[in-house]
Amino acid sequence: MPLPAAAGAGLCPAGGSLRRLDRYGEGGGPWGNPGFTHAKGGGPWGNHGFTHAKGPWGNHGFTHAKGPWGNHGFTHARMRIAVCRPQVPFARGGAEIVADDLVRELRGRDHEVDLVTVPFKWYPGRRVLTQAFLWRLLDLEEADGRRIDLVIATKFPSYCVRHPNKVAWVLHQFRQAYELDRTALGQFGESPEERATRRAVQRLDRVALGEARKVFATSQNVAGRLERSTGIAAEVLPHPPAPLPFHTAESEGFILSVNRLDRAKRIDLLLEAVAVEGELRCVIVGEGPDRERLERLAREHRLDGRAVFAGRVSDEALADLYASCLGVYYAPIDEDFGMVPYEAFLSEKPVLTTTDAGGPLELVGDRRTGLVVSPRADELARAAAWLAAHPREAAAWGRAGKVLAERVTWDACVDRLLS
Amino acid sequence: MKVAYHSPLPPSRSGIADYSALLLPALARRVEVEIARPGRFRSRPRGDVALYHVGNDPEAHGWIVDALRRRPGVVVLHEFVLHHLVSGLTLARGDSAGYLDALEQEHGLVGRLLGYAVLDNRIPPLWETRPEDFPLAGGVLELATGLVVHSRYVEGLARAAGFERPIWRIPHPAWEPPAVPAADVGGAPLVGCFGNLNASKRIPQLLDAFASLHRRRPAARLLLVGAVAPRFDLDRRLERLQLGDSVQREAYVDGARLWALMAACDVCVNLRAPTMGETSGTAIRALSLGKPLVVSEVGWFAELPGAAAVKVPVDESETELLEAALELLARSPETRAAMGSAARATALAEHDLERVAEAYAAALEQAAGGAAVAEAVASDVARAASEIGIEPTDPEVAELGRRLGEIGLGR
Repeated sequence: MPLPAAAGAGLCPAGGSLRRLDRYGEGGGPWGNPGFTHAKGGGPWGNHGFTHAKGPWGNHGFTHAKGPWGNHGFTHARMRIAVCRPQVPFARGGAEIVADDLVRELRGRDHEVDLVTVPFKWYPGRRVLTQAFLWRLLDLEEADGRRIDLVIATKFPSYCVRHPNKVAWVLHQFRQAYELDRTALGQFGESPEERATRRAVQRLDRVALGEARKVFATSQNVAGRLERSTGIAAEVLPHPPAPLPFHTAESEGFILSVNRLDRAKRIDLLLEAVAVEGELRCVIVGEGPDRERLERLAREHRLDGRAVFAGRVSDEALADLYASCLGVYYAPIDEDFGMVPYEAFLSEKPVLTTTDAGGPLELVGDRRTGLVVSPRADELARAAAWLAAHPREAAAWGRAGKVLAERVTWDACVDRLLS
Repeated sequence: MKVAYHSPLPPSRSGIADYSALLLPALARRVEVEIARPGRFRSRPRGDVALYHVGNDPEAHGWIVDALRRRPGVVVLHEFVLHHLVSGLTLARGDSAGYLDALEQEHGLVGRLLGYAVLDNRIPPLWETRPEDFPLAGGVLELATGLVVHSRYVEGLARAAGFERPIWRIPHPAWEPPAVPAADVGGAPLVGCFGNLNASKRIPQLLDAFASLHRRRPAARLLLVGAVAPRFDLDRRLERLQLGDSVQREAYVDGARLWALMAACDVCVNLRAPTMGETSGTAIRALSLGKPLVVSEVGWFAELPGAAAVKVPVDESETELLEAALELLARSPETRAAMGSAARATALAEHDLERVAEAYAAALEQAAGGAAVAEAVASDVARAASEIGIEPTDPEVAELGRRLGEIGLGR
């Protein structure tokens, strides 16, 4: 069975050598540095985010206010804004991309913006608290003798920062202290100290978010969780995906997964589905701590050649994979938000997800923009086979998804964050 | 994490026993619970933290306070006024000195002298005449490592009494009404009053107000459910007001009958003055059933949402305003319906059992391990500060302490 053309020579079939043939290196790829490596200037996307746009992304917010934004009603005075996010050294995921994109978009609207990051290590035990406390000690009221007008904090624990004009755009709480507690993905044991540490994280959230001037959540799922756990009401404000060179092409019949490889993302369910349905193929993009286990699982299921671990890939390769896949699998457990469905839709591809996926269900409608099935391998396999047998419906759902995804714009996000 | 749980439990006939019976299964899904039982020879559960439900009845709570004395822990203060409990734990056990000491501790020499007067039968017992002026909660507060309270009112009283340890304000949990049909009790409207019938439930004022309502609305009926207090002359009052068949009485009723009677009511009246800081299980049941409430504007009752409860001030206008409230509710089914919806919404949102149990688990987990965690975090921070030359007396240390305090990790 041939590999999808887009995957190319940089991919490593699951049953073959475990050495990853990563031609893109650590810096590139979907979880690499989209938006920042480009600053070096190479390639067709080399300009987005930092200079005035000339390329196809020229209308996506990279020009100053006097440009195309002049017509969008953005009349916010020029502000000095600190965007805060934690930084897990050597790791990069959706939250990092969003914060970086936000910086770029705000700069594109002529605000003076800087990204403030503090390394974050959340284990063992109470380390999560001492690390969160670092944010509490920061003084971001002014920098270099000049006032900072606004702080936009994103993921836990960056929203613990103090500022009289703090807006929290909650991409994540520390989920181990909430719904992941006492699950395989939890962190805290049953000792009184560990239980109390978990409660201290919750109290920290109540204090830190309670003092924010405004709280936004990236999805209804995150907002609901926040309300249930802290009593704090957040406005739902989804963010656009990273600006890949999206396009669409004829399906090459494989299911695409784009995600960090950890257990919560449930890539194993896709592999089991591929094992169930002999004609099914998948390409798994991304890196993470679960890769070794997933590759072992693929070998155990004898998926030779039918499951491809692509590792990190470049933006262009990723866009090509999106364009040429049959559909996109995205079914983490109770996910906060997830940019992948947006990326799939912007490539006019339907999404396969599960009834317990959380945030993605706010976007993926069963038989409208994809298929929503029980989190079981046989159900997933059946759904993928159905898509393969019904290319017209698959394409129509992808197009319907695109309409939804295009509604989520940085214009709207920036306008509400600064309002 | 394990909790040593001290509370009266059914078949004990107390509101707190019912409360614990409701709470325990939901709490046990979150923390491990070991139930403590009264009795000198029973083994005492240790647990990582001990929880004590304390109310004013010495018979139901005496053994719990004894256990609290042996091992301090988190106290659920079901009411702030504990004079009756303290007198039961001292005078009834032959410990007059203990009673006098308790009075003096809280109220100085005047308290001790009043205590002597009680002992000499010079004045009627304070726990019967003026308990709210002499709450005697200090002994329990001294032993509590933290408090669970149901109202801002009691929280304020505890703070005013000098309690500086953690207080968790957790709403009284609500029962889900059982599927029993409404009792066949007529009345247009049917006004219900549930619980012991005595002067502090404002029964005289309720009877006067209802008599006025009845004169205008002969179809109105008043349902009084509960035992009559020993020195409360209910029969004579009913006779004087010539209420006759318009008042229906039932003494003790079991749970199913209570729900059925309450379900039949158009309005539930739950008055109180003076308040001992208590909540009312029957008021909570009325909220669960979506019944409009008429309450006194005191203590916990005053904190009920105005959309669900008409609050009647305890002053010279009390009877008049109570009568007006009953008239309004009798006249307007729309108002009753709107208040009923608000009542049900309050029960579901504020008093949801799972939410209450989660708040208990949070409180207990903080009580068991919070100090160790705060200490450990502070030590980490102090060590880091010390490594870069910040001395304990430097102003930066105060800043660190302030920031830790902001997020609940202060020492």
